[in-house]
Amino acid sequence: MQQGALVSCQGHYAGSVSRFTAYAIDLAVTTAAFSLGLAAVSYIVHVVVGHDVSWNRSNIVVAIIFAGWQFLYFGYSWAVSGRTFGMALLGIRVVRADGTVLSPKKGVLRALVFPLSFLLCGLGFLGILVQHEHRALHDLIAGSAVVYSWDARAARLRFLARQAELTAPGSPSAGPEPDTVG
Amino acid sequence: MTDPAEALAQQVTERVVDLLVNALDLNELAGRIDLNALLGRADFDAVLEQVDVDALLEQVDVDALLDRVDVDALLDRVDVNTLLARVDVNTLLARVDVKPVLDRVDVNDLVGQIDMDALVEKTDLGAVIARSSGGMTTEMLDAIRSQAVGLDQWIDRWVRRMIRSRKPWPAAPPALLAAPGGP
Repeated sequence: MQQGALVSCQGHYAGSVSRFTAYAIDLAVTTAAFSLGLAAVSYIVHVVVGHDVSWNRSNIVVAIIFAGWQFLYFGYSWAVSGRTFGMALLGIRVVRADGTVLSPKKGVLRALVFPLSFLLCGLGFLGILVQHEHRALHDLIAGSAVVYSWDARAARLRFLARQAELTAPGSPSAGPEPDTVG
Repeated sequence: MTDPAEALAQQVTERVVDLLVNALDLNELAGRIDLNALLGRADFDAVLEQVDVDALLEQVDVDALLDRVDVDALLDRVDVNTLLARVDVNTLLARVDVKPVLDRVDVNDLVGQIDMDALVEKTDLGAVIARSSGGMTTEMLDAIRSQAVGLDQWIDRWVRRMIRSRKPWPAAPPALLAAPGGP
């Protein structure tokens, strides 16, 4: 891929890899946090009551609490800043379909309808691949879209700065410029 | 009626003065006058106080006067270095109101003309950026995001081929298409 194409992609509809990677990170973070929370609760119960508590993921109560935690995590993140931790790492954000800032209401609505995209073997996510605006089912319902928001221009300058420093007198010369920013 | 005696006396006087003036060598007389002593006795301040300088200047056609001045020749005779050496630049700059000047400058347009890539590559600014924003985390993030964008676009191209989409897809939402930094 050419540098120019990357530099100019800020604001473009985000693609499947960026979005899936961001979601995988969010899922790992929320699951880890949830597990830590359960472990903390177990420890407190053990200290206070003296009994050991074991949590079974197949338990309906635990599943409901986990779903609530997920809703809280995604809903709050999208409502407040339009991005979750994973999305921030990948440099993508949720906006309204017209590109303006997502309102808190829309953010919460998106979190509410997000599970719908998992139905029918995740067919709701197919829109990310084949829909003209890369919008999944929950995007279409909530009137949202996901775009690249990371400053590729700044990344390009950082890359050039590193190259310039490497090629400065006294420094080992740098290799050829890679295909992508970094 | 004029007294005949008075008329005669006037004629005689005029004749005498005429003969006297013809007999005088005015140049020699002027040469004998000590002009410096004369000027030293003159009170020029008192004379100048009686002159209405504004009225005098109003009668002067400055344009006509300047037309007669050979400015190039005048400037050739000016030693600019000596002139500048006598200028207190700090005092001069203290009297300059920079704000109106800056208000007239379109800074955005000015910055837009800068080739940032060349600037970063050719100046110490690159080293400053590298030191201030570098670090493993930033490099790693840039790399991950770049790879993700590259894969996004690669998959996008293949999907379009597979579904035989010939119409161009919108690159970005309308509000972001026109935004600075957008496509």
